Amino acid sequence: MIEARHISKAYPMRHGMNRVLNDISLTFPTGENIGILGRNGSGKSTLLRILAGIEQPDAGEIIRRRRVSWPLGFAGGFNGSLTGEENTRFVARIYGADVPRVSRYAWDFSELRDYFYMPVRTYSMGMRSRLAFALSMAIDFSVYLIDEVTAVGDKPFQDKCRNAFRERRERSSVILVSHNLGTIKQFCDSCAVLIDGRLQMCNSIDEAQQRYEAA
Amino acid sequence: MSPGTGLQAQLQIIHALVLRESRTRYGAHQLGYIWALLEPLFWVLTFYGIFYFTHRSLHFGMDIVSFITTGIIPYELFRETLGQSLNAIPANKALLFYPQIRPLDLVIARLSLEVVTLMTVFIIIMGAHSLYLGELQIDNLLVLMCGLLLASLLGASLGLFFSALSVYTKVVDRIIPIVSRPLFFVSGLFFTVNELPEQARDLLLWNPVLHCVEMVRDGWFRSYHAVHVDLPYLLSWIVGFTYAGLVLERMARRRLELT
Repeated sequence: MIEARHISKAYPMRHGMNRVLNDISLTFPTGENIGILGRNGSGKSTLLRILAGIEQPDAGEIIRRRRVSWPLGFAGGFNGSLTGEENTRFVARIYGADVPRVSRYAWDFSELRDYFYMPVRTYSMGMRSRLAFALSMAIDFSVYLIDEVTAVGDKPFQDKCRNAFRERRERSSVILVSHNLGTIKQFCDSCAVLIDGRLQMCNSIDEAQQRYEAA
Repeated sequence: MSPGTGLQAQLQIIHALVLRESRTRYGAHQLGYIWALLEPLFWVLTFYGIFYFTHRSLHFGMDIVSFITTGIIPYELFRETLGQSLNAIPANKALLFYPQIRPLDLVIARLSLEVVTLMTVFIIIMGAHSLYLGELQIDNLLVLMCGLLLASLLGASLGLFFSALSVYTKVVDRIIPIVSRPLFFVSGLFFTVNELPEQARDLLLWNPVLHCVEMVRDGWFRSYHAVHVDLPYLLSWIVGFTYAGLVLERMARRRLELT
């Protein structure tokens, strides 16, 4: 379970502050996949980073009772001069995971083959995100935070990701942010809409669609 | 989470960062680390050449190699820890992407690697030199180790403070090299405090690095007693800048977040 309590966040702008998140409270229950729908620049990614603990909110607090992933779909956090394997081992170590097991799993899942042993700077964007995704699957989080799953790899790899999530439904759940209702329909049981810095939980995905389109 | 597991997780992260840092800095080969050892060794050799050919005589029965090494290593410890902690955060900003890694971890990891490397160099040079002389004379190991440790802590505390300050103003990055360069000449690499005339001595003793070098020499040489070392003075530098650095890091933390 993750609980957000009265989260607010603002960024300084040229004139005054831009309030991105305005007093957001929501409980994400264990075992339920939740989608957050919002337009570009509505604060979805900021919310996800705060849930992950990368950014601190200006006010409010996040309570995490489970192991939460970093925001997936964004392939930052790799060092270009190190190989895929070395980056994998590093991340396994900081999460206190079994290093050889994680390394083997990531090699297998990412389908990078020999590129796994090449510096990450030689990778294409797609390869990077494949590695990032494989790595997050290898570490076994209870909650996966996903930013725009559509960005990850080609069609067969996307199917593979979807299957991987389906397999671990018992153990892990997903919080997905997207501006695309279709993606959320595929992955999530329920949906919330982020409009003007406020998060509203919807009873059904159809209701989310209505609110999203009305805004 | 109990404090025990928290500390363990922290150590795990710092260990991973040290491994990663040594990999990126010294290259993929284990041999790359040798370069880290060779650089200070080269320094010592250069100085040895200068001292030898200018026929400089040393006071207090010191031999050239020990004199140079006891000066260079604490100086380098100070300079490297300062430089490393100054750059630790900008160079590894991408790592703040992982929520459990905080800016301070980056600084600690780099410091540990640097201190271990230079301590190893010190042991190698002095060990080899003692083997060559056929005797190992350490006057006071505790004072020696304290001198080396305090030099590292001094660099680290200044580095911590200025790295946090550089979040606010980029001027820091330009000023530090300008200010730290003269330290090379006034930190006792070429002289001991006891042989200085009183006026010069009073002036140069404002420099905290000189106190560290003096401590190391006091600890190493039986014939040398660093009567002018002012430990409370040195410690107030370290404590003062560590405190200010940690406060400033707290304040700067928000600005460091990935945007």
